[in-house]
Amino acid sequence: MVDHLTAPESSGEPIRSGDAETEDSTSDQNSNAADFEGRDLVLSYGTDAEPVIDGATIRFPPGQVTALIGPNGSGKSTLLKGLADQLEPDAGTVHIDGKNAQDLEPKAFARKLGLLSQEHTSPESLTVERLVAHGRYPHRGVFESLSQADRAAIEEAISVAGISHIRDRPVGSLSGGQQQLAWIAMALAQETDILLLDEPTTFLDPHHQLEVMEIVEKLRDESAMTVVLVLHDIEQAARYADHILALRDGEIQANGAPSEVITESLLAEVFRIEASVETTDAGLRVTPLRPRHE
Amino acid sequence: MATKTSGLDQGLDSGWRAVITARLLWLAIGSTVLAVVAGFVQVRFGTYSMTFGEVWRGLTDPKILLDLGVWQYFLFGGQLNPGALLTPGSWDAVILESSLPAVSRETLVVWTMRLPRVFIAAVVGSTLAVSGAIFQGVTRNELASPFVLGVSSGAGFVVLLTLVVYSALAPLVPILAAIGGTVAFILVYLIAWQDGTSPVRLVLAGVIVNMVFQSLQRGLFFFAEDLGTVQSALSWITGSLTGTGWTELRLIFLPSMFVLVLALAGARQLNVLLLGEETARSLGMRVERTRFFLAAIAILAASVSIVAAGVIGFFGLVVPHIVRLSVGSDYRRLLVGSVFVGAALMIAADTGARLGLSLLAGSMGQIPVGIVTGLIGGPYFLYLMRKQQEMGEL
Repeated sequence: MVDHLTAPESSGEPIRSGDAETEDSTSDQNSNAADFEGRDLVLSYGTDAEPVIDGATIRFPPGQVTALIGPNGSGKSTLLKGLADQLEPDAGTVHIDGKNAQDLEPKAFARKLGLLSQEHTSPESLTVERLVAHGRYPHRGVFESLSQADRAAIEEAISVAGISHIRDRPVGSLSGGQQQLAWIAMALAQETDILLLDEPTTFLDPHHQLEVMEIVEKLRDESAMTVVLVLHDIEQAARYADHILALRDGEIQANGAPSEVITESLLAEVFRIEASVETTDAGLRVTPLRPRHE
Repeated sequence: MATKTSGLDQGLDSGWRAVITARLLWLAIGSTVLAVVAGFVQVRFGTYSMTFGEVWRGLTDPKILLDLGVWQYFLFGGQLNPGALLTPGSWDAVILESSLPAVSRETLVVWTMRLPRVFIAAVVGSTLAVSGAIFQGVTRNELASPFVLGVSSGAGFVVLLTLVVYSALAPLVPILAAIGGTVAFILVYLIAWQDGTSPVRLVLAGVIVNMVFQSLQRGLFFFAEDLGTVQSALSWITGSLTGTGWTELRLIFLPSMFVLVLALAGARQLNVLLLGEETARSLGMRVERTRFFLAAIAILAASVSIVAAGVIGFFGLVVPHIVRLSVGSDYRRLLVGSVFVGAALMIAADTGARLGLSLLAGSMGQIPVGIVTGLIGGPYFLYLMRKQQEMGEL
């Protein structure tokens, strides 16, 4: 499965997507899952700034969960923004099911791909249910009211996120963790094939971190959704993701199954830490020991 | 709602029915009562004071209410002659000159002088409040208003320029004012544009454009040749409804209805914009385009009010906050509430502007309504700020 993800450094040329696609559709259990890839992406903020990501070609395993890990400033969020069309690439393209994402109407794109940003604002008096209902925006015409399908999607999202008990509460009255669940529900109501989550567990208490990851687990096991998420917690990434992509200085250092990627030598190289990695019943256990100064 | 089974409570009905909450209903009823009472006072008192009975008889005078010709005179400025439409070349005869039938003095005062001014106040108040509400949503800034974003000062400058320098164009002042407001806002947009706009940059650019236009305004006063011009210019840039009648109402009524409908249609876009630019974009909104269209609606709304009343300050800023405190930040409710509250408060403020001096000082002079809104709006805004640490949350 490692060949799903191809760093440009490894081959020196863009992947031959045609071959890869046919391989996948036979090997993949979710044959209706979206094929999602970025080709030769160059991403920067502003025109004369140094590119944060300088030519990344990545193909995400359809229907599975991929975690992006890497130290602060390694370009994880930037990559996610580029993939989500929030940041226009200086070069390169994003392809969904073989089609160039830039050719899609914004709403059509938003029906394919959802993004939950790191920070969000909402009016405090907005109820959870209404927030979730906003997720239906790309499915509705300008003057259309909520259809049966919209309502069903909202119900489903609320139930998957496990927030039916707070659905009528104003968002402003919720804890940070509950707010995060509500926002995830909004993104779920969007009913996209691909969902990008930017640090969904950062700043949450352990309970809500697990709640969020449980949703990710549900999406992995019960839906054909392709999920890409940025995680700071390496153990969490190892436990919940099918694939891990490690970034340092805007370059893909490693990609593959957690057991292949999360190694002591990779942690030393990417995160500049000495750590011990053990395999336990609960998954990989990563114990950071000390920072490396070299 | 046939979808009870889906488990969604009616708060989620996206139709406009669900927009009407008890609070919004009470707000609308309260506003209507205030509008009627203030309007009645406005019509009754003045240089020619009447008893309530006389006002009532004037208001319900069948010679007005039941005469189609009179209504044509009010609404179109003359007798309608649809036949002329069929003969090309004679379209200037579509509206023939006509006049009011002989009516009592009370009826005349009520219907030709005082009532139209009440109606105009209602329209001006609604459009200003809606304009402010939209600007606050578009810029996600609770201090935004047509005033802050340069629209008002641009319009004011053009008005002054016309009156002082190009006095021959004076009859076109309303339209020129609207153009000035639009130009000023486009300037603001250009200054704020840097790979797209941001709420903060928009407001900062507004402050800059405001300062420049206000300096230009003050500069122009030195070129005014007579006191009359200065007074007329002053009443434009402070905002006044003195002397307005059916002519002005005819000019602004249809545009105001048009713009209010457009605004309500944009309510959902505004709601999504409140979730932040990134979220709006990830939901598939063309953020810049939407913002621009919404801003255009807000400019149009502000222009409608400027055309009739000049530049009334503070109103577009404060009213949306009052409404937000009562019905929350959902733009569908906020805009509907702003229409009602804006109309009622403007009628009340204009009643104060027309009759206040005679009450306080015994003189019969009127002050521009813009002074009343500033005097009351400023301190009230301060009170809102103090009362709500986080202000009317946006």
